[in-house]
Amino acid sequence: MSVRDAMRRLIPPGSYVLFLFFLTGIWVAISPFVMTTQPSGQHWIASTVNNVVIGTILIVVSLFGILSYLVFALRDLLAEVQARQEVAEHTSPSGE
Amino acid sequence: MRTTHFTLSKYICGMVASLIIFLAGGWLVLAPFALGYQPYGASWDSQTTNDFATGIPVAVLALVSFAFFFVSLLGSLRAAGILVARQRPQAQAAVATQVPAAVPSVPATQQSDLDRTLSTLAAALAADLTARRQAGSNQLNQVSDQSTDQAMNSRRDA
Repeated sequence: MSVRDAMRRLIPPGSYVLFLFFLTGIWVAISPFVMTTQPSGQHWIASTVNNVVIGTILIVVSLFGILSYLVFALRDLLAEVQARQEVAEHTSPSGE
Repeated sequence: MRTTHFTLSKYICGMVASLIIFLAGGWLVLAPFALGYQPYGASWDSQTTNDFATGIPVAVLALVSFAFFFVSLLGSLRAAGILVARQRPQAQAAVATQVPAAVPSVPATQQSDLDRTLSTLAAALAADLTARRQAGSNQLNQVSDQSTDQAMNSRRDA
């Protein structure tokens, strides 16, 4: 298996979309301060609290999706390689 | 079984994450009105516009991401043999006539690793079966030779 195939199996198209959500979460969290809708030096207004909370949720959930897929896919890959080695060990003594 | 469990888990994690993000996108659209920082009838302020412009693409892309993971899950289930791909009648007829030629023509790079492992297992089983059949036929030949010798001896004695 080439590196390209392995990367394709570890990072599916859905993970790229989840990475977009990660970037979107950063923007949602900092947008009240970038767009100056949050007055500086005062308590956070409702929209600021909402945006920071939703942005944090987007960041955490997207990272969770990407990393969990990566970990499970890596474990599958290792188990598959191990199974292939076992098959090769079983087939080689028979003289094939 | 263990491999199948983990394969399903990774897709389910992706789909759950996509669904949570879809709900978050929907809440971003509704939040200006639900939390009351966008008055009804008034022109939208910049924060409401930003939430709308962010929430709608997030919700749509979350559905796209969910579809990606779901299609990957279906492909994995098909590769494991749990789901059988539905074929059109014309395609079935074409495949039925071209099965011997079509199977070797599939390039090895397009086969999944599971297919390769299964093909290796199938080859090992076929070789084992062939060896057993050859051993069985040799034993049968020996038994038939012995019976013919006995018949010849009995005829001579008679």
